[in-house]
Amino acid sequence: MSGRTGREWIRRILLPLLILVVAGCEGPEPAPGEGERLQVSRALSGDDLSGYARAVEPRSFRFPQDHGAHPDYRNEWWYVTGNLEDETGRRFGYQLTFFRFALAPEAPSSPSAWATNQGWMAHLAVTDVAGAGHRAFERFSRGAAGLAGAGLGPFRVWLDDWRLEAVAGNGFPWRLRAGAGAVALDLRLDALKPVVLQGEAGLSQKSGRPGNASYYYSITRMQTEGRLTLNDKEYRVSGLSWMDREWSTSALGKDQVGWDWFSLQLADGHDVMLYRMRLEDGGVDPVSHGLWVDPRGGYRPIPREGYRVRVLDTWTAPSGAVYPVAWRVHLLGQDRTLEVRAVRPDQEMDLTVRYWEGAVDVFEDGRPAGRGFVELTGYDPQGRDVQTDAHGPS
Amino acid sequence: MSSLFLALLRDHRRHPWNVLLSILGVALGVAVVVGVDLANSSASRAFELSLDAVSGHATHQVLGGPAGLDEAVYTRLRLAGVRDSAPVVEGHVQIRGETLTLLGLDPFAEAPFRSYAAGLQGGGMTGLITSDDGVALSRRAAHRLGLEAGEDFTLEVLGERQRVTLETVLDHDDPALDGILVADIAHAQGLLDRVGRLDRIDLILKDRAAVQRVRALLPPGADLVRTEGRNEATLQLARAFQVNLAAMSLLALLVGGFLVYNTMIFSVLRRRRLLAMLRMQGMTGGELGRRVMAEALVVGLVGTLLGLLAGTFIGRFLLQMVTRTISDMYFVLSVTGLALSPWVLLKGLALGLGATAVAALGPAWEAARVSPRDALSRSHLEHRVGRLIPWLGLAGVGLMVLGLALILWPSRSLVLGFVALFTLILGYALLVPPGLMALSRGLAPVMGGVFGAMGRMAARGVSAGLSRSALAVAALAVAVSATIGVGVMVSSFRTTVDDWLGQTLQGDVYVSAPGRSSLGLNPLLPDAARPRLQALEAVQAVSTARRVPVQSPRGTLELMAVDPAPRTPEGYRFRSGERRAAWEALARRDAVIVSEPLAWRLQLHTGDRLTLRTDRGLRDFEIVGVVQEYGSDRGLVTIHRDRYDRYWDDPGVASLALFLDPGIPRARALADVREAVAGLDDPVLVTPTGEIREEAMAVFDRTFAITHVLRLLTVGVAFVGVLSALMALQLERAREHAVLRATGVTPRELGAMVALQSVLLGLAAGLFAIPLGLLMSDVLIDVINRRSFGWSMAHSVPWGVLADGLWLAVAAALLAGAYPGYRMSRARPAEHLREE
Repeated sequence: MSGRTGREWIRRILLPLLILVVAGCEGPEPAPGEGERLQVSRALSGDDLSGYARAVEPRSFRFPQDHGAHPDYRNEWWYVTGNLEDETGRRFGYQLTFFRFALAPEAPSSPSAWATNQGWMAHLAVTDVAGAGHRAFERFSRGAAGLAGAGLGPFRVWLDDWRLEAVAGNGFPWRLRAGAGAVALDLRLDALKPVVLQGEAGLSQKSGRPGNASYYYSITRMQTEGRLTLNDKEYRVSGLSWMDREWSTSALGKDQVGWDWFSLQLADGHDVMLYRMRLEDGGVDPVSHGLWVDPRGGYRPIPREGYRVRVLDTWTAPSGAVYPVAWRVHLLGQDRTLEVRAVRPDQEMDLTVRYWEGAVDVFEDGRPAGRGFVELTGYDPQGRDVQTDAHGPS
Repeated sequence: MSSLFLALLRDHRRHPWNVLLSILGVALGVAVVVGVDLANSSASRAFELSLDAVSGHATHQVLGGPAGLDEAVYTRLRLAGVRDSAPVVEGHVQIRGETLTLLGLDPFAEAPFRSYAAGLQGGGMTGLITSDDGVALSRRAAHRLGLEAGEDFTLEVLGERQRVTLETVLDHDDPALDGILVADIAHAQGLLDRVGRLDRIDLILKDRAAVQRVRALLPPGADLVRTEGRNEATLQLARAFQVNLAAMSLLALLVGGFLVYNTMIFSVLRRRRLLAMLRMQGMTGGELGRRVMAEALVVGLVGTLLGLLAGTFIGRFLLQMVTRTISDMYFVLSVTGLALSPWVLLKGLALGLGATAVAALGPAWEAARVSPRDALSRSHLEHRVGRLIPWLGLAGVGLMVLGLALILWPSRSLVLGFVALFTLILGYALLVPPGLMALSRGLAPVMGGVFGAMGRMAARGVSAGLSRSALAVAALAVAVSATIGVGVMVSSFRTTVDDWLGQTLQGDVYVSAPGRSSLGLNPLLPDAARPRLQALEAVQAVSTARRVPVQSPRGTLELMAVDPAPRTPEGYRFRSGERRAAWEALARRDAVIVSEPLAWRLQLHTGDRLTLRTDRGLRDFEIVGVVQEYGSDRGLVTIHRDRYDRYWDDPGVASLALFLDPGIPRARALADVREAVAGLDDPVLVTPTGEIREEAMAVFDRTFAITHVLRLLTVGVAFVGVLSALMALQLERAREHAVLRATGVTPRELGAMVALQSVLLGLAAGLFAIPLGLLMSDVLIDVINRRSFGWSMAHSVPWGVLADGLWLAVAAALLAGAYPGYRMSRARPAEHLREE
């Protein structure tokens, strides 16, 4: 009962908020009669971005400071995904993401420790590839009174008892702990490569419009060890994780409907990020791009013309959304042809904000060649995730 | 067949007054019961809904000490993964003269708890959190208060005026939200001066393991309680008050029942001739009985329906008063609508029809069994009534003995108390006819001596027409006795409270922060107030007080921390324990004194131990005395300030009592006091003792206003009863009177006789009412009140109340006799005689 009410509440309150946060005023006017939610979003569309900091030009990143929060920007996230397996080879995928979104440019003036303009959301998902399937959970909190936030000394991001934090100081190793329902993670993360800056020295353009961009960096390969609990059974797991960090005050363009985002860790030590910003007319926005990271941590951007993606297979979710779940990815500059397949198709994040985020296998010439994660938004026919997913067009 | 029935109807058309009065009688009786029932059930429902709205789906609550709960406790719970938890800051505010409950919530945490939080639209929630002064109201509440979304308005909180903006209108029509103002928790902490503190944490805990897990995370001063138990305790507090109201309405029904019976039996008696003729024309007794019954039920139905209608109006009016009392005493309540539950209406319908049916049983039986010959003879009837009299007397005595036995039965049951009371009343009512007979026979010579033949005839007429007059007198006597009983009770209570106030307010002047109320935490005085006042030449001594809610294993209790002045102990009247020893114990040991209502409710005695949750964990306190206290029917625990400071971290003081030097003129001393506090950072109130006493008595009178109204309604019902009985009595005698006229009695003499007879009946009712009223007041004071609240009070019988009762009865009777008397005197005897 309370669960239903809770969902209802989130659907009516936070979703419009996220639409506002992520899609903002540039989103398409919803057609009349599309339901209450969209009407709310329209009611909110008068809101403007003034008062927030914008990502207009490249900046110089500083660490560890930039691991912390940038509250002047409207939204920000800490996005950790990974592929794990236990001693017997049982495969798991996981995701833990912390989203920060400003509700207003300024916090209210109040002596109360609860006074804030910051809201937080977190998503947790675990895929048991051969067994129990995919589980996803979400949480919300205000960014005040010590309930949720991000800070340094030691580095930590948390919402309730879900947390990502440095074991000591701000550097690696980090510890990731989160649990919900029958699922719990307790992992130790160690960076195998340094930070890489995405886009133009860390400025990642989202549409042709100036300021519609984010600051975006990644740690593409982290050695991961720890425990994964599923249905009262504990597994000792290890594998590789990937972290994306991004903050911005921006919105989708009018004609953009969603994105496909790939993060692949190849067996030969290379890592690849690719995204395709899909347009209403079925095309791909020319601002879409990627990044090629070599085994030593050197990296270079992949321009829009440098890669081609073809969908090989699709899956229809219970929600009715039809998601692609297998692709052929052709990297022209690297002269590599990778076949990317979901470890299992049913990895939809059926949460307040609905999207698909799942572990994938990479094959090359028919042989296993790596693992990774893929995120798909804008496929839900009910429009639940159109422009609403917080994972930006990377 | 139907033509015979038509004969009955035609008879009604010729005497519309009888039918109208019957209907009116039933309607009034039903209206009072339904009105009280509706007001009561609406208030209860609103009470429960408000509690539910405030506590939401929480299964448990974490409560703190008097100063609230450290907000870090909540963060600790959340970081430990206690997910279904929500922080709450709660207090009262006044908007445009109305008191509302301010709920400070964290919208992010609300999802599982209060469904109306879903009414916060996206932008509304953002606005509530991020604006400096945003609040939310339900659509109905906003409409009622005349506020629109986006409007700025002023509210009063803790005695200060604050500007806020109606940021959000909750898209909800739930009446439970009528009295609730929602704000973001940060804003509410500021408004209620609760920065850093929470009033409680709401939790949904599904099993014992979860409860234990939370308990392990709590500091010693925090208590985990079940919401249901806490709400139930709050509801229970007001229940005694409501049972009392319900009983008052039953009294009205009882009087109404007499009335209906009276009217019904009349309609049969008056038509005995007609009925007899119908019998002779071939109608069987059973048929006649059924006809009379059917007729009664039609009258009952019409009356009941009218009564239901009138009841909803009365209910609306009473609801205001009930709400007011509950808000004054128990819980801030906004009830804007009458909950017209079909259940209450059905109950009213059943009562009205049931009472009519029961009342008509006798008359129907009478109609069925009467033989045509007897029917034509009135004397036969009166003869039978006369034979019945000793049996009535016997039954009356029996019932009264039973009632007394029930009262003496050792029990705490309030319902049993009322059963005893009603048994007594019924028993007494049965004694009225024999009493009346004796009275009229005894009075006949006296009246004859004073008023001559007309006087003798008037007195004899009463006993000769006992079958009708006795009922009217019994109904009037019961109604008047109710006004006497309740009047004496209220007056005793008032005198006791006034006396107690005089003693308990030992100080000469009281100083407090503005915004005090009997509910919730009172604002604190600025720290500088006490030293400044103590330094004044006019001030000889100062005592301090701070009243706070504290938790105990037996529920939330009111705790008063007192730092006494030398004269303070004299303000306490000990029902058990000894004053000096008790105050010494308070200063030296972990000891408390408890008030009478608390001792009654929790069955505490001097020497027992009372466990309280302190900021250092649970502690036992010895009870060293039980004192009279009328400030709260929930009960009060008094503790010495030193002990309070030892166990609770709440250094503030809410009020000071100043003991002035009698050698300095009072006006000068007051001026000095006012000047001393004028320079303080926050405004404070300086109130001389006399004003406090007046204020307290004003609240007292307001609380009992509803009792007065019910009293009057009962009299109203009785009045109609007397009116109908006497009118019927006199109208029925038209022929007799016509004969008198024909034999030379003047219209004036006849009118005088009717008036005299009415006065006699009224006087009899008034006199009969006095012993019953006094008996009722005793039961109300020593049984009902005691079992309801635990208060003891001194009996005081104001002669005025008794005189009022007598006067009321005579006036009612006289007024009732006026019209028949007037008609009699104007009637041409030939007309009446021709009817034969």
